[in-house]
Amino acid sequence: MHKVMIFLLITMSSTIFSSETTSITRSGYFHISYQSELEPITINQIHNWVLHIETPEGDPVSGAKVSVSGGMPLHNHGLPTDPKVTTDLGRGKYKLEGLRFHMRGYWELIVIIEIQGRRDTGIVKLNI
Amino acid sequence: MSKAIKMIATIAAILAITWFYVNPTDAGSWTKSELRILEELSIYSLPPLPPDVSNAVAQNIDAARFGHSLFFDKRMSANRLVSCATCHSPEKQFSDGLPKGRGIGLSDRNTRTIVGSAYSPWQYWDGRKDSQWSQALSPLEDPDEHGGNRMYYARFISEDPEYRRVYESLFGSLSHFNDKKRFPDAAGPIGNPAVFSAWENMTTKDRHMVNIVFANIGKVLAAYQRLIIPGESKFDYYVEAVLQNNNDKAETIFTKQEIRGLRLFINEAKCTDCHNGPLFTNNEFHNTGNLSFPGEMPDRGRINGVRKVLADPFNCLGPYSDDPTRNCPELTFVRKGAELIGAMRTPTLRNLEGTAPFGHKGQFQTLGQVLEQYNDSPLAMIGHNEVENPLGLSTSELESIEAFLNTLNSPLTTSPEWLNPPRLGISSIAVLQ
Repeated sequence: MHKVMIFLLITMSSTIFSSETTSITRSGYFHISYQSELEPITINQIHNWVLHIETPEGDPVSGAKVSVSGGMPLHNHGLPTDPKVTTDLGRGKYKLEGLRFHMRGYWELIVIIEIQGRRDTGIVKLNI
Repeated sequence: MSKAIKMIATIAAILAITWFYVNPTDAGSWTKSELRILEELSIYSLPPLPPDVSNAVAQNIDAARFGHSLFFDKRMSANRLVSCATCHSPEKQFSDGLPKGRGIGLSDRNTRTIVGSAYSPWQYWDGRKDSQWSQALSPLEDPDEHGGNRMYYARFISEDPEYRRVYESLFGSLSHFNDKKRFPDAAGPIGNPAVFSAWENMTTKDRHMVNIVFANIGKVLAAYQRLIIPGESKFDYYVEAVLQNNNDKAETIFTKQEIRGLRLFINEAKCTDCHNGPLFTNNEFHNTGNLSFPGEMPDRGRINGVRKVLADPFNCLGPYSDDPTRNCPELTFVRKGAELIGAMRTPTLRNLEGTAPFGHKGQFQTLGQVLEQYNDSPLAMIGHNEVENPLGLSTSELESIEAFLNTLNSPLTTSPEWLNPPRLGISSIAVLQ
């Protein structure tokens, strides 16, 4: 019984705290994925990403207002920088500049997307 | 009798198992993820020094020689008794071994080492400077450090024949500043009211002329300070042996206590949350609940530092940066907010030997006291202590971590001639001491 519980806990925690390159926003309006200029993502290096935002049907979402925050929930602290979406690259792509991670571990990036009165939030999860 | 033997055997077994789990000391027992961390901490992972595009002479050897001379030149102060080396002594890891820096007066905080500081996007405990060259300017005008003013320094370079010659070879024509109506004896935006007023009465164009020379003084000092880099320590030799799977060699390099300390450092003690990478620092800002200096209000740290660096005319985005594109991501995307209250920049843990006391105010006399602080994790006087839970390590465990930290001392990679005041023949610049 204990072994089963431990197995379940390990499985659950690895699911909860694992990296995902795509995520679905809370209300299901958008799918978010990203591509990092720094690959593999390592600590203490400032770098940029390209965020891809699509509808659940796979249509690119351009012209949205996109902002980002986040941090390490298990450490109870935020990001060490204030990254910003600086350019709408078109076809659902947005340049996100100024990301840096200063510790190894589990990070969450909260992406807020607003377009035509519709606002939704997604969480990008990554383990560094 | 057999019952007694059984009992002794059981106790022995328990002790053996406990010893195995509590005190694993053999070099070959590192897990894959631990090995990755060890490799990341090793000096062999230190990348080549990143360019400083805001400083056009950062890589120029003549600028470094010029900076070398200025670094040791006591004429670079109001009383002609203080040089950069007064607080950043090469014999003390480019620090001073004092609670707070002592120049003309007593400085506000503990002197940070210059060793490896070229790798940091921020300078000072509060990161109020964003480059080595910009940092080098601040003590020159601080009344408690060098106590001078930028007009004095610009004229000093202009009037010294050797400095003038080298300056002009690097930066082009240098004014003589001999019109005292335009360029008074003492003028600068920091300092006493007479110095400030004289500065305010100068034209914008003349102030800019002086600022250019002042900034270039910082740039040659930085060209020199970029050369001050730590070398291989006992820890690095140990990691090299471990990564080569040469456990026999590894065990001749590290004692059992040092291995235990390293194991705690990267695991239970969570030191690598902040003291990570080959210089054992993430150069980020953390509130770790350090008590203030006796009799002083708590230091607000980064929350004030970020305001200062954004307003600094000598920052990466300012008019004295040599980067035509003003590509300054750290400054452009700098974070603000309440998390920065009382936060200080993580210091390197390499080459701590001879640099005690520790902490931003020199509040900790020994490394043991620093470790006790993390072990207890007190509430922060201002802001929030990021170390939310006491580590709860035993005295013996803390001693092991301290033993490990002492393996991080190393000679510098810097050539010995840079570590002493310049002599005739090393450079064409005159002897200054």
